[in-house]
Amino acid sequence: MDERDLVFYGTPIEREEELSSRKKKAVAEASGQLRTLPTWKQEVRDEEGRRRFHGAFTGGYSAGYYNTVGSKEGWAPQTFTSSRKNRAELKQQSILNFLDDDEKADLEGQSLATSTQFDTFGFTASEVARKQADKEQDKRPSAIPGPVPDELVLPAAESIGAKLLLKMGWRHGRSIKDSSTDSLYDARREARKAFIAFSSSDDTKSNIDGDANHVNDHSNSLERPVNDDNLSSQYTPLNALQPKQDLHGLGYDPYKHAPEFREKKRSRVSGTQGPGNSKALTIRDNLFGSKSGKAGPGFGIGALEEYDIEDEDVYTTAYDFEDTVVQEVEDSSKPITDHKHRLTWKEPGILPGFKVASISDYQVEKFNAPEVPKDFVPRHKFAGPLKVEDKTAVPPPPDVPPPEDSNMKVLIEGVATLVGRCGKLFEDLSREKNQSNPSFGFLMGGNGHEYYERKLWEAQQKYKDQKKLPLPSDGKSSQKTEKMNAENRGKILGERPLERSSSSLVSPDVNLQSNLSDTFMKPLQFSELPEVSKPFKDNSAKQERFQQFLKEKYKGGLRSGESGGASNMSEAVRAQERLDFELAAEALEKANRGQQSNLSAQQSMDFLTSAGMQFTSAGVEQSKDTLDKDFEMKKMYPKREENQWRPSPVLCKRFDLVDPYMGKLPPPPRMRGKIDSLVFKAEFIPVPRIGDKTGQNQNRSSGGLQSSAQGVRDGSADEEEDEVVVDVENVERPVDLYKAIFSDDSDEEAETSKVSKVEDPEKKVEVANATLNRLMAGDFLESLGKELGLEVPPDLPPYSHTNQNPSALEKETTGLNPRDGSSVKMVAEVPKSMDDQSPPRGKLDEVKVVKITEEDRKQGSPPPSEDRMDRRHSKRQRRYDSISDSYSSSSGDDSDRDRYSSKSKGRRKKGSSSRDKKSSSSRKHSRRRHHREDVSREYSSSRSSRRDKDRGESKREKRKRRD
Amino acid sequence: MSASDLPTKEANVLKGHEGAVLAARFNADGNYCLSCGKDRTIRLWNPHRGIHIKTYKSHGREVRDVHVTPDNSKLVSCGGDRQVFYWDVSTGRVIRKFRGHESEVNAVKFNEYASVAVSAGYDQSLRSWDCRSHSTEPIQIIDTFSDSVMSVCLTKTEIIAGSVDGTVRTFDIRVGREISDNLGQPVNCISLSNDGNCILASCLDSTLRLLDRTTGELLQEYKGHTCRSFKMDCCLTNTDAHVTGGSEDGYVYFWDLVDATVVSRFRAHASVVTSVSYHPKDSCMVTASVDGTIRVWKT
Repeated sequence: MDERDLVFYGTPIEREEELSSRKKKAVAEASGQLRTLPTWKQEVRDEEGRRRFHGAFTGGYSAGYYNTVGSKEGWAPQTFTSSRKNRAELKQQSILNFLDDDEKADLEGQSLATSTQFDTFGFTASEVARKQADKEQDKRPSAIPGPVPDELVLPAAESIGAKLLLKMGWRHGRSIKDSSTDSLYDARREARKAFIAFSSSDDTKSNIDGDANHVNDHSNSLERPVNDDNLSSQYTPLNALQPKQDLHGLGYDPYKHAPEFREKKRSRVSGTQGPGNSKALTIRDNLFGSKSGKAGPGFGIGALEEYDIEDEDVYTTAYDFEDTVVQEVEDSSKPITDHKHRLTWKEPGILPGFKVASISDYQVEKFNAPEVPKDFVPRHKFAGPLKVEDKTAVPPPPDVPPPEDSNMKVLIEGVATLVGRCGKLFEDLSREKNQSNPSFGFLMGGNGHEYYERKLWEAQQKYKDQKKLPLPSDGKSSQKTEKMNAENRGKILGERPLERSSSSLVSPDVNLQSNLSDTFMKPLQFSELPEVSKPFKDNSAKQERFQQFLKEKYKGGLRSGESGGASNMSEAVRAQERLDFELAAEALEKANRGQQSNLSAQQSMDFLTSAGMQFTSAGVEQSKDTLDKDFEMKKMYPKREENQWRPSPVLCKRFDLVDPYMGKLPPPPRMRGKIDSLVFKAEFIPVPRIGDKTGQNQNRSSGGLQSSAQGVRDGSADEEEDEVVVDVENVERPVDLYKAIFSDDSDEEAETSKVSKVEDPEKKVEVANATLNRLMAGDFLESLGKELGLEVPPDLPPYSHTNQNPSALEKETTGLNPRDGSSVKMVAEVPKSMDDQSPPRGKLDEVKVVKITEEDRKQGSPPPSEDRMDRRHSKRQRRYDSISDSYSSSSGDDSDRDRYSSKSKGRRKKGSSSRDKKSSSSRKHSRRRHHREDVSREYSSSRSSRRDKDRGESKREKRKRRD
Repeated sequence: MSASDLPTKEANVLKGHEGAVLAARFNADGNYCLSCGKDRTIRLWNPHRGIHIKTYKSHGREVRDVHVTPDNSKLVSCGGDRQVFYWDVSTGRVIRKFRGHESEVNAVKFNEYASVAVSAGYDQSLRSWDCRSHSTEPIQIIDTFSDSVMSVCLTKTEIIAGSVDGTVRTFDIRVGREISDNLGQPVNCISLSNDGNCILASCLDSTLRLLDRTTGELLQEYKGHTCRSFKMDCCLTNTDAHVTGGSEDGYVYFWDLVDATVVSRFRAHASVVTSVSYHPKDSCMVTASVDGTIRVWKT
């Protein structure tokens, strides 16, 4: 393909080789490390990934405020200057050096101005000051009336220019004219004198007229330097003081932040004089002005100059001081008069600078209540049934014949049912989950997609109809639901996976799907009981309650307190009834399970009712067994054994007893089988227990033999040790390993040595598959439910769908102790194990044996011959496992772990010297098996205990629900 | 003592535990009672007045057993958090935590002098803890059991424990001997008769068995109740005339000690009766149940 044909989006990922290693590092650090590191640990690096060195005296590589120095938004470091060569001069610090930019801006009133240093003539600053002074002078009822002579006041700040000028001989108040000033001055002076002299002899005015022009000209020319002088001096700021007039404390300015009020106050103070008067006033009330109305005599003449009489009259004619001043004042007073004008124009009480708005923005908005239409009925009427648009929008997909593969069909139907019930989200999730699974291809539009569409639509319709049921108006839907009865649905959903799996040789794949769908559909199965299963037919009310009970039970909802029984029942009776219900429900389940057996569900229910919920044992053989067992029990137990036991000295001390072993050698180590010690010695290094000090002492004396054995005992749950053990034995007996993995060591297996082993692997696979599938489906459902927050029907206890022999099943149903089935406990398969323990096997046992063999065929091949003791032991062990869990079983999830961990726990035997090598080795294998179970407990063992376990789980579940 | 003197009338209901109550025990003189349960608390009650006195909270998981010293000053408790807690009764503080059990601890008892606490664990061991010293290590570990040890009783000279492996083992400290009585059935709970000559063992085949301690002989079996999967207490009445125990269906049974007939049975709780404890002197009994209540029964 040509490159030009391609369209690229985004930035291409750079090839790794192109990146220099440093850069890579930089990138990596920038992306990963820097983000994770705290700011004070981060290092600044440049684009090339180098660390930049700065601030050697302030921390090397990291400097500034969190390494901001030199970075774009950080500080610029000051360049270094040697202090040796350049002695630090005394710098004049101004406040501006310490101010931030914004503060400076505040200070300077945001004006753009030449900095004072370069303000050669102090123009800007002095201008401002001057204007201010003028203004203040205007306001001030001056003690010294009239403008203060500029010469009297020095500029506040000496600019460099001024300084330079000063150094060059310039003085304030002088024009900056060149050296001609002096000569000009002299000339002017001369001229002035002459002029004065001339004008003083004023008597002949007329003849002066001609001269007057000249004089005027001359005076103009004379005037200029003076004016210049004036001008230059004008620019020096007036440092006018404001006399204190108010009663506030010194330095207190009440109008500091509100200058408007100052204006106002002043206007009030000077109100008598009238606005605009101040100018005239200042001039008129002058000391000088009062006398002459003009600038005072001597003004403009230096103190050192001699005062001539002629001088007096110079200004009367030639120089109108007042004009210039007025001119100046006019400028500065303009805004003031403006304010005043405004103030007078508007009514008092309004701040200067503001005026009363003609239209106010602020209005209390009022919203009138909407008018209710006359014909409004305060009740909502739905236009049609809910979700009606869904129905209309989606046309039903065409009815497609189901795929030939029945498994596929079942799977599709199952998924469709679920999706129909749980929503589209489920479909998406399952699609995501099973992307790689070819059998779920129909979700992706593959094989069987049309069929799935159809089924999904049907399921959705059905679900909608169910929801709509309470609406009686919808005739169509009710009709539809009626059509969809149990048989119909069963047909649609392809129920009875039991039949399917009962065929002896089914591929594992088949099992997967059928069981999967079975798991999906189980809730449905139970929500509608077959007609026959009415255990409380004689009591309709009770039956009703039972139905309710079942419904709630399988809906997974929490049962409310009352729902357990009628309201008039006492608590005790209600509890009893609940127990009954649970039993009946369990029996029902079993009946469902064993539908293929000869015994009908009806019959089993009759059993239930006839026994009056006091099930003990049904069936003749069972009772015989129990009798036999009791007899044996009495004969055999209790057995007493005595052993030496050495209490620790501290214990004796605490019990205030004399240590019986005081001063004696430590007791001999406990005897164990030869193999035990041999095997364990090989690899195991004992971990001494801190607490068991006496034990350690013993070990020391008896060598590694004891210690290793003890170590295994202590850490019997330790998998590694088990591994070691098994490995050692592997070498010896490979056949036993096979058994260890694939066989159960329970005693039922002993009798079934004749059963051909050929069948076994297959069945194993099958069973394992079934379990796996169930787990998959269950897990699937559960996780989905969690993810979606949907109400997914609870995963019902699965049953082994392996080829269940009818007779075995029958036994199962009838022989099971219903008490045992009550939901509150774990299963302890006591009777079965008990009869196995009987050493003499009479005729009575034969039936048992048959049953056992049947079971065993299902469960797998047993080891051909095992030590009797050992079998019993292991059997018992299993039982104990389940029993000892009873505590933890109620604590939810832990129970499983406990259950299995107890299995993995190695068993110790003491005093088993009589045991031969074989027995001990087989025990080892059994341990191995347990270990495997422990490891693969997720997949739940497929062996004999499986059904029991499942039952136990179901019970636990039930209990949980009930709690 | 006739059957009519049995405590069958409900005197008080002690409510406060959230969730199942796993054990309820009278103290040595019978004036107070302690209970513990799934809500991880231990509660001290006055059962005669029906008053809740104090709650002890520190356990991280369910508390399975609790015992108080004869002088009422210290408590010891154990539970699912694999620890044995040694409490001060009055302050409610944990004095020591004994760690070492590898799994849940099922039962714990003080010895006569309250110097040692012996705990029985799911890890197939008995451990004795020193309450005198500051050591938190066990004095001794007894691990001859082959399954979870469910219950422990102490006499002046012996440690007696029942295990799921079907044995009741008596460890005689004075003699240095272990006597193992194999009952063939998982032992749930053991209880000493007041004269100290018999052991009552509750087995998981719904049978209580009375053993003669000296000979190991099975004296009597008591049946009728349901006990298949729960750790449920049993005990003898103060006069040793009757045997009492709970049932998983919420009933409490009284058997005649000698002829093993059910003298009385009544529904005490809505759910499994986990614990029964008999007053040391009077005809009074407390029962605890999974339903979260403790009931006090009197004649």
